[in-house]
Amino acid sequence: MSAGQPMNIHVAPMVLLLAAAVFLTAPEARAGSTVRVAAPPVGGELPESPMHGNPEVISWGGHGELRLGHDRVRGTSDPEWFSVGRMNGFARARLAARWRLAGEGTWDRATDDFVLERVELTYRWKRTLHAHGGIFPVPLGRTNLSHDAPRNDFAEHSLVATQLVGVPNAMLGLGVRGATGGGKRPMTYEVDLVTGFSDGLIVDSPGGTRLPIGRNNYGDNNGLPSVVGRIEFHPSRDSEWGIAAESGPYNQTEIGGVTVDGRRWVHLIVADGATDFAGLRLAAETGIAFVDVPPGLLGLYAEDQWGASVEASRTLWDPLFGSWRQSALRVAVRADAVDLDRGLQGDSRHRVSASLNIHHRPRAVARFGWYYELQRDRFDNETPIAGLTFTAAAYF
Amino acid sequence: MSYGHVPQDDGRFAPRAEEPPRAVQSARRARRAAWLDPATLAICALAALPLGCGDLLTTKPPIGTRFDQPLDGLSNGELGDFQDGQTQFRRAFSISEGLGPIFNNVSCASCHSGDGRGIPSNTLTRFSRGGDIALAEGGPQIQDKAIPGAEPERLPVGVEVSHRLPPPVFGVGLIEAIADSAILAHEDPGDGDGDGISGRANWVTPPTFVPATEPGGGPGPRVGRFGRKAQVSSLLQQTVDAYHQDMGITSSFRSVENTNPLSSVVVPGLDGAPDPEVGGQAVNDVVQYMRMLAPPSPGESTPRREQGAALFAAARCVSCHMPSLRTGTHEIEVLADRDVALFSDLLLHDLGDGLADNRPDGSADGREWRTAPLWGLRIAREFLNGKLFLLHDGRARSVEEAIRLHGGEAAGARDAFAAMPAADRAALLDFVESR
Repeated sequence: MSAGQPMNIHVAPMVLLLAAAVFLTAPEARAGSTVRVAAPPVGGELPESPMHGNPEVISWGGHGELRLGHDRVRGTSDPEWFSVGRMNGFARARLAARWRLAGEGTWDRATDDFVLERVELTYRWKRTLHAHGGIFPVPLGRTNLSHDAPRNDFAEHSLVATQLVGVPNAMLGLGVRGATGGGKRPMTYEVDLVTGFSDGLIVDSPGGTRLPIGRNNYGDNNGLPSVVGRIEFHPSRDSEWGIAAESGPYNQTEIGGVTVDGRRWVHLIVADGATDFAGLRLAAETGIAFVDVPPGLLGLYAEDQWGASVEASRTLWDPLFGSWRQSALRVAVRADAVDLDRGLQGDSRHRVSASLNIHHRPRAVARFGWYYELQRDRFDNETPIAGLTFTAAAYF
Repeated sequence: MSYGHVPQDDGRFAPRAEEPPRAVQSARRARRAAWLDPATLAICALAALPLGCGDLLTTKPPIGTRFDQPLDGLSNGELGDFQDGQTQFRRAFSISEGLGPIFNNVSCASCHSGDGRGIPSNTLTRFSRGGDIALAEGGPQIQDKAIPGAEPERLPVGVEVSHRLPPPVFGVGLIEAIADSAILAHEDPGDGDGDGISGRANWVTPPTFVPATEPGGGPGPRVGRFGRKAQVSSLLQQTVDAYHQDMGITSSFRSVENTNPLSSVVVPGLDGAPDPEVGGQAVNDVVQYMRMLAPPSPGESTPRREQGAALFAAARCVSCHMPSLRTGTHEIEVLADRDVALFSDLLLHDLGDGLADNRPDGSADGREWRTAPLWGLRIAREFLNGKLFLLHDGRARSVEEAIRLHGGEAAGARDAFAAMPAADRAALLDFVESR
């Protein structure tokens, strides 16, 4: 279908009705069969997802998101008006008293790929300390740890999440998660050895350094693990502050037995925070990356990248209707930016988003959103992109 | 952003899954005042978006104000080809897709800003040693980037060097369609008319992969018309060589990788992609795309610009920057039999010592350059961050500076411009910058 044809006008209402039907009926119908996961003492292990089945044996679930959008690039409509935003499935099994096995897979529109997020074996050493191994989301920022579609206030993750961290970003590794501090100001932590980023961030990346292309490295290609860790503070009941970092080599130094390059490193630091203030929920996330680029590629591939997002949300009506006790109407705004080459004027993206959300807690949300983005190429030429979106996301 | 765990009073953590956020609870209390909430106004604003705030959903630029627009009058099939070619033109290659082993940039679009001219930082460096293009030393062009395991080329000592700013690619189909006879009609190699301006075609022999059915192709010398010294006769050749030399992408036309002959490291197959890395179709798509790129429309005519046009002619700038040439036959109908206001005669002229690169190219000597078309100057700054880079290496930052740097056959026109009153110079510049 070519851009701007009137066919969308006829088809869109039917799809909207279908999405509305799924949104309004499915969560209600299945609420009774959905069991709540017992609260673990530390993060990880599919912490927030409602599941079917028996958590003491095996439980499962998933979530999906549909997206209707009228997106325009410099005034020209994008012919893709209807798409799947995300599709996810997860399961967890209790193998023994202290052992758990979890699996999760996600397709995400923003990164346009399927990610095996989790094949994770966890040993609950004690209530405040877990050891785990396998494939799991690296703790690079709150968004990468908690990004189930029905819980997002926006249809798209922030630019720092998609362009720097590459949410969902899972790697093969092992490590520990724990909690300490106790009382009212606890702290959680996670430290892992993982495969780290691969040289895909350069080798498979057209047009410049792109960390997400080198993520999801399920088999190390460089003989050394990366270290990733996160510390998370909770100074009050409604506040959370986290800082995370990953550091390690990413490239192959030999191809076919011939040395082609020296060891090269990538470092990524992500900080995030959230708190309630004056009736608003405020959240922010920022990341900075340093990449050791081979000398023959300097000037084209970025050595430094940076991104940040700030968002505010507020609940306006709760409940939305008297008989619909689980509903709420929320509004959220976000500003985010990413500079994909700090050594260059250009190669950056800046975006503002607004979203009006009807939440059917805790399992579904319908969002009416608007965004406006300025993309700058490596010449610093500006391309405006904007859109109106309707998205519906629900656990199933 | 969602938050999976909140600390409990006993120091443990519980998921927020079934728990209304704090903001929700506070909103319950403040519900009656919600209609007065500023956020409500935000909702109203959001709801009003579809009702006609076009700017909030971006607007189309006016016709003729971009370099990447197709010619008017193309058929639906040709427009489809245009879209295919645009995709290929903008395709950035990764190393695993074949980029390198040595190269200058990652895509066509990464050199030609918005399909217009390039910037000094992506200037190509050509070199030769005497009349030799120095293949054994990495000539005729330095590839200063290399993938891991390969060694970028470095400029050898004692060679003649020419820096070449990537030229605009719009309008090249019209240039291709200009009949040889229209170009040759203005030749005056021996300055027979004694006006101090010669002008001659650069006769070049296209490579064998350019078939006779292709404009500018076939055996024997052909009139060169592309490149700073008109050293290329065929768009196909220009495109194939850009893939091969600038991006290190082999095609079915040139299927052997370009490597650094002076490198101490030789690892075959480094880029991980089998040769040829793109097929002939992709190359032809790009050729067709460029053929169908329209030149931007000139600015509105004003009395001052009309005065500037007259001064442009009076200063004999038009001897080389001819206002228009006529196309001949062409398989794309809209290219055929029309006047093309490119402001160039597409001939070689001696521009003096100041601009000389002292490096021959085809039959062009080190002082000769093809007359640069002036079209597109009106909006060139918009694609160069507000700046302007003119002449073959981008050394001139304004039209006036470019004029003042002219020499050789153009010295008379330059001096005439310099002798004009300031108001006349401004009118002439206004005219040129409105093209």
